[in-house]
Amino acid sequence: MKVKKIAALLLSCAMMTSLLAGCGNTAGGGAADTGAADTAATADTAADTSADTGSDDAGSGEVTNFTMFITMPGSEINDDNEIAQMIADKWGVKVKETWLTGQTASEATGTLIAGGEYPDFIDSDEMNLLVDADALVPLDDYIDQYPEFRDTWFTPEEWDKFRQPDGHIYWINPFGNTMGETKQTTHNDEAFWIQVRVLEWANYPKIETMDQYFQLLEDYIAANPTMDDGTENMAYTILCEDWRYFCLENAGQFLAGYPNDGSVIVNKETMTIEDYNTSEDTKLYLKKLNEEYQKGFVDPESFTQTYDEYIAKLSTGRVLGMVDQWWDFAYTVNDSFKQSGLDLKGCNYVPLGLTTKPGMENRWHTYDDTVNQASGIAITTDCADPDKAFKFLVDCAMDQELHDLRFWGVQGVDYDVDADGLFYRTDEQRQNWADTSYQAAHRCQYTYFPQWHGTSRDGKNANKPEEQPSEFMNDMAEPLKNCFNAYGYTTYPQFIGSVVETNGPWFPMYSYSNNFTTETPGGVAWAKMGEVKHEWLPKVVMAKDFDKGYAEYMDAYNACKPEDFIAEMQAILDTFK
Amino acid sequence: MARKKTNEKVRTKITFKDIKKQGFLMVVSFFVVVYGIIFYYWPLTGWIMAFQNYKPKKGLLGSKFVGLDKFKFLFEDEVFIKVIRNTFAMGVINLVTTTIMAVLFAIILNEVRRAWIKKPIQTISYLPHFLSWIVVTSIIHVSLSPTGIVNDLLLRFGVIKQAINFFAFPKYFWPIVAFANCWKETGWNAIIYLAAITAIDPALYEAASIDGADRLQKIRYITFPGIKPTFLILLLMNVGNVLNAGFEVQYLLGNGLVQSVSQTIDIYVLKWGISQNDYSLGTAAGLFKSAVSIAIIVIANKLAKKYSDQRLF
Repeated sequence: MKVKKIAALLLSCAMMTSLLAGCGNTAGGGAADTGAADTAATADTAADTSADTGSDDAGSGEVTNFTMFITMPGSEINDDNEIAQMIADKWGVKVKETWLTGQTASEATGTLIAGGEYPDFIDSDEMNLLVDADALVPLDDYIDQYPEFRDTWFTPEEWDKFRQPDGHIYWINPFGNTMGETKQTTHNDEAFWIQVRVLEWANYPKIETMDQYFQLLEDYIAANPTMDDGTENMAYTILCEDWRYFCLENAGQFLAGYPNDGSVIVNKETMTIEDYNTSEDTKLYLKKLNEEYQKGFVDPESFTQTYDEYIAKLSTGRVLGMVDQWWDFAYTVNDSFKQSGLDLKGCNYVPLGLTTKPGMENRWHTYDDTVNQASGIAITTDCADPDKAFKFLVDCAMDQELHDLRFWGVQGVDYDVDADGLFYRTDEQRQNWADTSYQAAHRCQYTYFPQWHGTSRDGKNANKPEEQPSEFMNDMAEPLKNCFNAYGYTTYPQFIGSVVETNGPWFPMYSYSNNFTTETPGGVAWAKMGEVKHEWLPKVVMAKDFDKGYAEYMDAYNACKPEDFIAEMQAILDTFK
Repeated sequence: MARKKTNEKVRTKITFKDIKKQGFLMVVSFFVVVYGIIFYYWPLTGWIMAFQNYKPKKGLLGSKFVGLDKFKFLFEDEVFIKVIRNTFAMGVINLVTTTIMAVLFAIILNEVRRAWIKKPIQTISYLPHFLSWIVVTSIIHVSLSPTGIVNDLLLRFGVIKQAINFFAFPKYFWPIVAFANCWKETGWNAIIYLAAITAIDPALYEAASIDGADRLQKIRYITFPGIKPTFLILLLMNVGNVLNAGFEVQYLLGNGLVQSVSQTIDIYVLKWGISQNDYSLGTAAGLFKSAVSIAIIVIANKLAKKYSDQRLF
C-alpha cells in the first residue's frame, strides 16, 4: 500500500513539473546567452569602420546565439551542426533558424506581432506589418558604419528602394546580387516544365506553344501509359494551394510575352498597368486547360492537393509536366530523384518558355538582378546585440571564406580543388550534399543571409556550386545531359530563350502589391480578388461549359472592384515616369 | 441561520463568524476568483479594440475611436454573412451528430455483457481524441482523395464509375467535417454517458425483467430517462459552443473550391484580421461571436428551466 502511495506521489510531482516545462524565456532567449561582459567587447569591434575584415572575433571570444524566423518553409539544422559550429568558432555567431510550418506568412507575422515577442533576425513576407508595430531596428546607421559593404552591395538607387516613408531602411534583401561575371545556369523563375524523357522520346522537338506542349504530353501518355515499375504516368498537374496558386493564376502574363511583374502587366510603351486576369491570353490559357481537363490529362486532384502532396507526387517521377517556379520544387524534388535513382530514368525537368502564338518574344526568364524591395533580412527590437548581429550580416556578404563555407562546404570534405584552382566535387560528395540527414548534420547555409551569385572573389570559381560550369554539367544525370547536348544548350535559361533586356526600375510590381493591406480600397480589392480567383479559377478549368463558367467567373471577379486595385498600382507606376 | 424556503424571500445574514468558520474554503476560492478575474474578465477590456482602429504601436488608449465602423464593414461583407451561416451550420450539425453518436455508442456498449470485450473497445474508442487534428485531417484527406481508399472501394464494388474528388464539391464538405468530428470525439463523449448509465440503479432493470420487458424496452423506459439529466446538461453546455464550430478542421481540409462553405468565423478573423494587421476587425468579429453565444446560452437555459428541472444557472 505504501509503495502505491509513494508511486502516486512521484507521478503527480512529475506531472506538475511537466506543466512548468512549457514556461521558458522565449523573448530574445537566444541572445540571452551572451554574457554582459562581451557586449562591451563586441561593441568595440563593431564600431571599427574596417569593414570587410573576415575578422576573427577572437577578441570577444564568446559565441553569440541569435534566433531567426523566416516565413518560408525550410528544414532546421541540427544544433550540433558541424559547419554552423565552425562559423561560430571563427565569426562568433550562431543563428538558430526556424521556418514556416502550417501557416501563411501573414498569419505567422500577425501572430508574432500580437504576441509581442520577436526573434533576433526576421525575414517575413509582411515587413510592413512589422514596421507598423515598431518591431524593427532602423539599419541606416549600421549601414553607414560599413562603407565598403554599403557601396558593394547595392547602388544608392537600390538602397533608396528600401527606404520606408519615415526615411529609414529596415531590411536588406539578401538575394539577387551577382558579383563579377554572371554564371547563371539555372532558371530560378516560373516556366512550363517538362520531363527530359518526354523530350527524348519525341527526339528533342522544338516546343513553343501550349498546343504543341499538350499534344506532346498526350502522345507520350498514349505510347507510354506507365513507368517501368508500373506506376501510371500523369500528364499534367497543377498546384494551387494558398499563395502557391500562381502556378495556375499568372501564367497568362508570361504567355503574352511579359516578364514576371507578378500581379499586373506593365505596358512599357504607354507606361500603363494592364490586368492579365481579364486578358485574352489568360482566357485562351484557361480554355486550353479546360480542354485538357475534360480529356482527362489534367490531374483531378490538382485543386485540392496540399503542397506536401504535390511535392510527394512530383518525387515519384510520374508527373510529366506542370507550371511552377524552380525554387518551389526543384531543390526537394531533384534531391529526391538523385536519392531514388529516378534521375537516371530521365525524370528531371527542363523549362519551356511557351507563348500564345509561335515565334513570339517571351520574358519568362529575368536576366538582371531582381531587387525585391518587399522583404529581406531585418533585425528586431528584441535583439540584445544589434551591433554584432549587423556585423555578421556584413560578414556574410563580404567574407569570401564564410561564403564558401556556407555554399561549397569544407574543403577536402565537401569539395576539392584541382590543379587550376577550380573547385570540383566527386560523386560521393555530391550525393552527400543532396542527402537530407547530411544536410541537417553538416551543411549550414544561412540561406536568408546576404549571398552572392556570379564569380567568387578569387576570379575563377562561382559563388554557388550550381553555377560552377564544370559542376553544373557533371552534376547532371545522363538523360539530362543528353537533353542539353541535343539542343546545344549549356544552361537552363537557354531552353527558354527569353529576350535579354533590363527591366524597368519599377520591376517587380509584385513587391508593391505584396505590401497592400485592407487599409486602402486597392488593398481590399486585391484581397477580394485573391479569394475570388482561388474559388473560380479551379471551377473554370473544371467547367463542362467553358464559356458559361468563364462568364460567371468574370461576374464574380468584377464584383470585387478590380479597378481600385489597378488604379492603386497605376499610381505607384506613375512615380517612375 | 434562517433557512431559505423556495418561495420565501429570506435574506440570509452572513456574519463574520460564518466566514471565519469557512476560512480555508474562502482562501482557496479567493485564489480561484482572482485567477478568473485576471484571465477571464480583465482581458474583456480589450473589447474596446472593436470600436477603434487599433494599431499595436499606439496601444489601447492611443488608437483612434471609430465607433461601429468595423461592425458595419463586417455586416456589409457578404463573405462574413456566409461565414456566419457556415459556422452555425457546421456547429449545429456537429452538435447533433456527435451527441446522437455518443449516446448511441454508450447505450450499445453498455449492452455488452462481457467485461473483457467492453473495456478494450471503450479504450480504443476514445484514443482518437488524443490525436491532433493535423494527423486526423491528413488521414481523411488522403483517404477521400481520388486515389484514396474510399474511392478505391466504391469503384471496386461498382457503386461509382469514376473516382470522385470529395474535396472539390461544396456539398460534401459539411458531412465530411461532421464525420471527422464524430470519428474523433464519439468515444470520448461517450465516457460521460457510460458513467451516467452505470449510475442507474440495477434494481430498476431487474424489476423491468420481472415485468417482462425485453432489451429494447428496457433501453427505452429505463436507460433513456436515466441519462436524461446528463444529456440535458451536456446539451446546454455544448449549445453555447455552437459558434466555436472550429478552426482546425475547416482550415486544414478547406481549399479554394469549397471556401464558400468551409470558412468559419475564426478563419475569417485570421484572414481579414490578423493577416491584414486589422486587429479591430478580428475583435469585432469575436465580440459578435461572444454576444451570440451568450444569448444562445441564456435562451437555452430559460427553456431548460421551463420544460425540465435541469439548468445551468
